[in-house]
Amino acid sequence: MRRLLSRIKLNVRGPSRRGLRPAFALLAVLLGFTPSILGAASFTATLDRETVTVGETATLSLKFEGGEPRQMPGLPAIANLQITSEGSSRNISILNGQVSSTVSQNLSLTPTQPGDFIIPALRAEIDGQVLTTQPLRLKAVKASASAGSGSGEQLAFFKVFVPKKEVYVGEVFAVEFQVYIREGVANAENILQNFDAYGGCPLKAEGVSVLKTAHAQRRRTRAGNAIYNVATLVTSLSPVKTGTLTIGSMDVNLTLQLPVGTRRRDIFDPFGMFQQVEERRVTLTAGPETLAALPLPKENIPTNFIGAVGSFSMTLSAGPTNVATGDPITVKIQISGRGAFDSLALPEQNAWRDFKTYPPTTKVDTTDPLGLQGTKTFEQVVVPQSADIKALPPVSFSFFDPDRQRYCTLTQPGVPLVVRPGGSAPAPTVVTASRAAQDLPPPTQDIVHIKPRLGALAQIGPPLVQRSWFLALQAVPVLAWLSALAWRKRTEMLANNPRLRRQRQVAHIIRKGLIELRQFAAENKSDDFFATLVRLLQEQLGERLDLPASAITEAVIEEHLRPRGVPETTLAPLRDLFQTCNLVRYAPMKSSQELAAVITRFEGVLRELQGLKL
Amino acid sequence: MRPPLTLASTSLAFLVFLCPLLLRAEISAPGFESANKLYEEGKYTEAATAYATLLQTGQTSAALYFNLGNAFFKSGQIGRAIAAYRLASQITPRDPDVRANLQFARNQAQGPTLPPNRWQRWLGRLTLNEWTVLAAVAVWLWLLLLTVRQWRPGLRASLRGYVPTLAIAAGLLCACAAAAFYETRLTRTAIVITSDAVVRHGPLAESQTAFTAHDGAELRVLDQKDEWLEVSAGPRRMGWLRRDQVLLPQ
Repeated sequence: MRRLLSRIKLNVRGPSRRGLRPAFALLAVLLGFTPSILGAASFTATLDRETVTVGETATLSLKFEGGEPRQMPGLPAIANLQITSEGSSRNISILNGQVSSTVSQNLSLTPTQPGDFIIPALRAEIDGQVLTTQPLRLKAVKASASAGSGSGEQLAFFKVFVPKKEVYVGEVFAVEFQVYIREGVANAENILQNFDAYGGCPLKAEGVSVLKTAHAQRRRTRAGNAIYNVATLVTSLSPVKTGTLTIGSMDVNLTLQLPVGTRRRDIFDPFGMFQQVEERRVTLTAGPETLAALPLPKENIPTNFIGAVGSFSMTLSAGPTNVATGDPITVKIQISGRGAFDSLALPEQNAWRDFKTYPPTTKVDTTDPLGLQGTKTFEQVVVPQSADIKALPPVSFSFFDPDRQRYCTLTQPGVPLVVRPGGSAPAPTVVTASRAAQDLPPPTQDIVHIKPRLGALAQIGPPLVQRSWFLALQAVPVLAWLSALAWRKRTEMLANNPRLRRQRQVAHIIRKGLIELRQFAAENKSDDFFATLVRLLQEQLGERLDLPASAITEAVIEEHLRPRGVPETTLAPLRDLFQTCNLVRYAPMKSSQELAAVITRFEGVLRELQGLKL
Repeated sequence: MRPPLTLASTSLAFLVFLCPLLLRAEISAPGFESANKLYEEGKYTEAATAYATLLQTGQTSAALYFNLGNAFFKSGQIGRAIAAYRLASQITPRDPDVRANLQFARNQAQGPTLPPNRWQRWLGRLTLNEWTVLAAVAVWLWLLLLTVRQWRPGLRASLRGYVPTLAIAAGLLCACAAAAFYETRLTRTAIVITSDAVVRHGPLAESQTAFTAHDGAELRVLDQKDEWLEVSAGPRRMGWLRRDQVLLPQ
């Protein structure tokens, strides 16, 4: 279940999306608390093929990732190019907690005349951010030039179509391999599907490297007097040597199944499932196409050119920009455009000599099936070695643009830095193990060297949350808060209950008074003893009867206690105690034993009074 | 006047005699230096053995794990190097050298591996202990304010905004600490240490091959059965491999 929940994918086609908009809105709200997870928005435009014959259709895909455009960008009218919308689709996927949303709009482009058509850069606004696509080029050729040379008599044939006749070494270009099967061949669908599932292209070419083959495009076309089903495999190639290059196909053996017998409907086989076929074996090959591979110009080669061929743009960002010496800064360089991204490398930046550099990490995001268009991102960690550094030096990248037939150099300005002196030891230098190896690898192509000192000894212990002392320490603020809470509640309770407050005060007075009584008895101070005794009796009786202590006399026994049903066993000792206090004025007690006996009687009376429920 | 003099003399004695002893305990490591020498001579396997021997004697430091990782890397054992760098990063999580070499070694690993997602990378900016301390400080402050409110009710109005803010901050930080604890302590990672570790569809040697992981691949451990581990290198790459083909770092 956990694995199932980790991968949720929603895919909705255009016509039914309105009904599900509230659900998407709810999903967006639910996911709104993780905006950072959704990531930055992007807008790309791709063509499924670069060359079509007149009358054929190419598909332009507009893809919005990470957001939805405020308004779908429209394509301006282009002469001799019919543009129709194929609808849109929306895709939201949650994969391992990462959410991504994609909105796609497909447009069919059908040229009515041969020529080159430029799809201009399109602009769209997503979440306040204006994004722009790269211009695209669609080439339309005459039908006779690419639709095969057969007059309709051939059952099947191959054709290789090379859109350019001159390319530069290292330039990436697309070649079409077309498989034509005449309509009526029973197993035509199987043959065409097998070419798609082949995963490659049966091209035969020397002096070029075959890079990637996209899935086959299917269509029907007329050649001569017959209709053919066509599968077009588009493959990217890159010449590795100069001179005339020949691109053809391998010899491919096919078995074609041709229906035999009458076309009249059989009553026992109304659907033609058991139709007899005749197998015919054919060996097909495509006529070779030639093109010239030109060397790169030897004039005006930029110093930092390392072989990139294509059309690119570059962006640069770095952070943090306020650091101490020895702190790492992550430099992010993005190279976007068209070219061979897999072999694209960042030239060594000589201006970074005041920085310690680490090997960059790379990531390639392509936007077309052949992987020719996209963005390559280099993330490189650099460490300033001196507090005198004021800026990250400019970054340069050079390439050869085959369309403009000249070298181009992109330069991003330096990034201002604030470098403070650091307190740590200087970072170790990157060196290699042997002297012979020191000359070969650049510093960023190896691991950082070993540390010469053992450093402080340390044990990898359990984390703080698993240490008992740390957990026990967390009880301190909890106990402090609970104590304060209890103290506060007790204070409020006493403030709201004066009788309880008096009860506690009297209990305190009684405790102190008993100590004084014992002290007076021991010192044989009869007057003080009985004065204290009367005061204590008044306090205790006053608290029990809720009367002022000064108002308590022996008369309360008959006036208050007896009417409230206090038993005689309690009243009698109390009355005796009062009378003893009265008598002692005339016949004082002289011995400590007698006074101690009075204390015992007083304690008995106290217990009786405190147990009363008045 | 005697007691202060006694105290001063005791302190002086500590500084003069005890501190040098402590310093010597830190820097006197002949075994470490001889292992470094083996490394400088290009005897990487022997150096790795020497570093590992030092670890067995209880001398543990970030530099020792770092150098051990370098020796493993130079001797072509990327998986063991990654494991050593991970241990070094547990001691000194902010050391740029450790981070750089760990990243470099990870870049050398071929084939399927389990890269951390964006959330895990963000969470990894702080260590588990740092998340824990942050969460504890927030909780302490919050409870301190609650205590002050009970002790001095007159301050209740002036503390009105701080208490819920600190409560929310403490809750979020506790959640981050819990997530970090889950990622670092409850999630097990296996590092492949053989050149080709065949991951099968079941915990049997006869099971069909699901995919092959190579030296240095980091896989998430999902389950264990006898000598087999169920591992994952992504949502579509799961299977079983033998336990002796991987390291299970703590």
